[in-house]
Amino acid sequence: MDQAAEQSCGKCTPCRMGTVLVRDALDALRHGRKSPLDLAAIETLADQMTATSMCGLGQTCARALLAALRSFRDVIEAEIARGAQPEQNGLAYMTAPCIEACPSRINVPRYIDYIRDGKPEHSLGVILQKYPMAATCGRVCVRFCEMACRRKFVDEAVGIKTLKRYVADQQSGDKALKFGRELISQPLGADMRVAVVGAGPAGVSCAYHLLLHGYHVDILEAMREPGGMAAIGIPAYRLPKHVLHSETDIITELGGRFLFERALGRDFSIDDLFARGYRAVFLAIGCQQGIRLGVEDEDPSVPGYKSGIGFLLEVHDHVAGLKSVSLSGEVIVVGGGNVAMDCARSALRMGADKVHVVYRRTREDMPADSEEVEAAIAEGVVFHFLTNPTRIVTGDGRITGVEVAGMRQTAPDGHGRRGVAPVPGTEQIMPCGTLIAAIGQQVVKGALTAEDGIAFDRWNCVAIDPLDLSTSRPGVFAGGDCASGPSTLIHAMANGLKASRSIDDWIRLGRVTFQPRTRMREILNDNKMLADDAVEVPVKPQYRVHHPELDPTVRKLMFEEVEQTISPEQAYREAKRCMRCYRTYSVITERAIPEAGA
Amino acid sequence: MDALDTTAPGATELTATINGKTVAGRAGETILDCARRHGVYIPTLCELHDIDHAPGTCRVCLVEIKMKHADKTHLVASCTTPMQDGLAIDTRTPELREMQRLQVELLLADHDQDCATCIRHGKCDLQDVAQFVGLRQNRFFDPARVAARPVDESSPALIRNMKRCIRCQRCIAICRDGQGVDALIQINSGLDTAVGLRHGLTQKNSACVTCGQCVLVCPTGALGERDETDRALEMMYDPELITVVQFAPAVRVGFGEEFGLPPGTNVEGQIITALRMLGASIVLDTNWGADLVIMEEGTELLHRLKERKRPTFSSCCPAWINFVERHYPDIMPMLSSTKSPQQCVGALAKTYLPEKMGIDPARIRVISIMPCIAKKDEIVRRQLIHDGVPEVDVVLSTREFARLLQRERIDLKSLEPSTFDNPYMSEYSGAGAIFGTTGGVMEAALRTMYYVVNGRELEHIEIEQLRGFEGVRTATVELGGDIGAVKIAMCHGLKPTRQIVEEVRSGKSDLDFVEIMACPGGCVDGGGTLRSKKAYLPYALKRRETLFGIDKNRPVRQSHRNAQVQALYRDYLGAPNSEKAHHLLHTYYTDRKIEMTQTVREVWADIKMIGKVY
Repeated sequence: MDQAAEQSCGKCTPCRMGTVLVRDALDALRHGRKSPLDLAAIETLADQMTATSMCGLGQTCARALLAALRSFRDVIEAEIARGAQPEQNGLAYMTAPCIEACPSRINVPRYIDYIRDGKPEHSLGVILQKYPMAATCGRVCVRFCEMACRRKFVDEAVGIKTLKRYVADQQSGDKALKFGRELISQPLGADMRVAVVGAGPAGVSCAYHLLLHGYHVDILEAMREPGGMAAIGIPAYRLPKHVLHSETDIITELGGRFLFERALGRDFSIDDLFARGYRAVFLAIGCQQGIRLGVEDEDPSVPGYKSGIGFLLEVHDHVAGLKSVSLSGEVIVVGGGNVAMDCARSALRMGADKVHVVYRRTREDMPADSEEVEAAIAEGVVFHFLTNPTRIVTGDGRITGVEVAGMRQTAPDGHGRRGVAPVPGTEQIMPCGTLIAAIGQQVVKGALTAEDGIAFDRWNCVAIDPLDLSTSRPGVFAGGDCASGPSTLIHAMANGLKASRSIDDWIRLGRVTFQPRTRMREILNDNKMLADDAVEVPVKPQYRVHHPELDPTVRKLMFEEVEQTISPEQAYREAKRCMRCYRTYSVITERAIPEAGA
Repeated sequence: MDALDTTAPGATELTATINGKTVAGRAGETILDCARRHGVYIPTLCELHDIDHAPGTCRVCLVEIKMKHADKTHLVASCTTPMQDGLAIDTRTPELREMQRLQVELLLADHDQDCATCIRHGKCDLQDVAQFVGLRQNRFFDPARVAARPVDESSPALIRNMKRCIRCQRCIAICRDGQGVDALIQINSGLDTAVGLRHGLTQKNSACVTCGQCVLVCPTGALGERDETDRALEMMYDPELITVVQFAPAVRVGFGEEFGLPPGTNVEGQIITALRMLGASIVLDTNWGADLVIMEEGTELLHRLKERKRPTFSSCCPAWINFVERHYPDIMPMLSSTKSPQQCVGALAKTYLPEKMGIDPARIRVISIMPCIAKKDEIVRRQLIHDGVPEVDVVLSTREFARLLQRERIDLKSLEPSTFDNPYMSEYSGAGAIFGTTGGVMEAALRTMYYVVNGRELEHIEIEQLRGFEGVRTATVELGGDIGAVKIAMCHGLKPTRQIVEEVRSGKSDLDFVEIMACPGGCVDGGGTLRSKKAYLPYALKRRETLFGIDKNRPVRQSHRNAQVQALYRDYLGAPNSEKAHHLLHTYYTDRKIEMTQTVREVWADIKMIGKVY
């Protein structure tokens, strides 16, 4: 109840006042003082809060109390009669479906509420608690939060990503929130140094948190700029480079150092890092080597053959003005993920006459965001579903086409998932000048060698303990794509935060400590306590805002950002749609729960 | 989920019951709307229908609902819950009434209950709702809870007392969505939740322009004008002082209802009588000042038109001046330099008037009665104070004037009307009278400018095309002579104003003259006018009609034909825009834009959140 009173937004009457009155009464009873309210009055107030509060916080925070009052009234009365009672051990945990769905556990209702309150800077502050790349995330996040949003039972999910982008863009340029060394409450000694390998989202996020903890952090990066996959893997029409760089600059503002063009395996080894005095290492080197198609006559060195990631690098250099590349004729992209979509839409912008996407399953099976697929279709990309390459056709030493076969869906397996199988006799040749294989990526070969002492898992990723991200080598932690395989920006940034905690524990205590809140989430998850429950009472429908977009016929020729930021008026309106589905859970434990980091 | 057409209420009919009686509901309307249409009373507090505000925060308007095919009932706030086919609604079960009572009791638990000292006493929605729900006890009130709440007394115009706030957020809504100023934000959390100003600034130094529309919607005494009734009384009671009182065009048509007269009644004569009873030495009319402003501003505008400087913005509205200086200082060169009618009257009441009447200017105190609280800001502008002597000493809003009469037990309704008797500064034309409503300044200016350009009067002086009520109205008027056609615009309310200003700044506008009134409707609905419970600007059009009626019945309807204004120029100023006129009747503006950057550290220190990392 203490936590509820602290967290109450203070707008609706029963929650604002009820939490305080009940908290004070319970506190008095526990300490054996005379309570301003008797048990009957407490029960009435708890009832009022549960029945009439505006949001989930007020509606759920007194449920356990009510149940206790009704089922164990005699026990409670006896305790009161005995006088002061010892402080109870336990943990109260307030969350919401969107928070639990987010790998970084961003307090989504809180940051939306701050927009509604008229404080976009506070809203951004909530996000910055978890990672520095808010404007980036507001553009490219895959939005697990929106999938969990309960507003979809009424009309549509709240535009959480759109709002994140709004607050981040609103606080940019002259109006940007100022970072600085004064943010670091306890700067540590010069020997407290950590090396982060890889300046992608995982590395940047880990460095950010370590810097805020007071460590001295160097980020070693193979490329000559920060951002990792966010820089090369996401085209400028989705994420302008200046937006990304304004956020990676935060590392420098906090006193961190980027050391560019230093590649692990080529320029240094893990041993070198420890020899240079780094107390711990975070590996966030990503998966930047394309996986081959594995078809007949595949030769990655033949002109016209490109890997998805390789092509995006070329596009990046082209837009950055480093190396001009031009494309013409027909382009075939193989794959159904976001990288494939980025390749296809970029190919159009690079001058391809026609772009085809070849994917072996159906549109519904595509791992790419459906918005990305729709945008590609609007721009004129041609899709060939249930089609798979079988052989690469070359002529005059370069690619001239791909032989593809039709596929059919097989009967669903035990998990309900349908496989695909080739349909014999459907082979045909699709002519093309460029073939982009965008079916997946892996850790660059040679980055880590046997001497580094880092074990790999069976998918050829760095093997880690998912709880604390430790690798097989003490003091070395790993996260992001190199540990999980190609995944999302938000997962990588969540890994960065987790790694920073583990590294902090490791350096200070020589071990990684128990995280009570993580344990609490496991309990909730295991017991499916946050299952999607339907919205029981009618809510006025109010459909979500959409980003203003450039016209497809214009935008497909250029790399300027397609989606634009929404207006303050739209943001206020969208923020009002959040239903604040907070839930409060508490566990009572026999012994005191050890604090995180102790 | 059925797609409901919320854009056209009434498009789809649905059937429901309220307290067992079958009612026809409309898709998209709320339970509260439907109940009101059917004459079923549900107590409400935070909701304000006129500004489409239903935040659902007070939780007083509870009803019990049972959906079709459902076996259990739910308690919901009727202001936010939409109607649904087959809904069974109960508004009066004993449990409900008990919960509504408890809700109001909880509202009072952290509400300053010193009602007798409250500016809103007797006119407070919270007092009303406590009566409506039958509140009999007040168990939870603890004065310690409100002791630390902020009371912002920094502004000369507006006092914000958070000890009395019920968190209905109407003020935030009107400031953000109604006026588009967006100066107010929600601060703190839990019990400390209150309304504050962006970036933690004080009222005086904030982006607030003191238009006072928030005061009109506040259900309690949390927002109110700075009360100056005592200072006014002291001046009027002091035998050494000569008090000169002026009142604005809009006051006479927005005051009668306080004393039981029909809204919109013209009580000019009764006000003059009341002021003399109170002890005012000289009663002047701000309408006279309005006529004078037309002479100065009209002349200035014709000059600028000849120099091809455009557009020119009117300058009589002090909240608009605040808005420019705070939000768009780059357009200051486009503002007319003519002072407002209040300041013109004030300046001359301490120069021209004493000279004519043979009195010592040092003994003169000027009090104005205005439908406005930004006028309180205006009189303390340093440009309008000379050697420590302000042009106007005290501004009383219409509300304070009402309070003053109540204090002196003067019943306006029973008074015999009197007439102005000052031979120098009280006569007015119809043009001066319509200054109080949107479009009035423009219409008055055009009547005089036409005469100046053509040497003859405009034939149809009631320019109907200017008399609409949309937020922005534009027209092209043929002035003839060497001026030709001028493109004009009239804006009322700051949201449409911002739109015009943005157009002008972007270079897309070809306007010549723009009249701005910060309050929707103009001065007749100013932030200093009488408050209405549960309604926003309900009498706008009635007051406006009366002003047009006054204009119609004036023997003189053009400012330049006002004989007392003519005498002023003949005997004292020379000509409009003369050096003396410039000295007394024109002013300048200063850049007061707010530029703030915040640090992450400051923001994090203010965030209350579990799972906070730093």
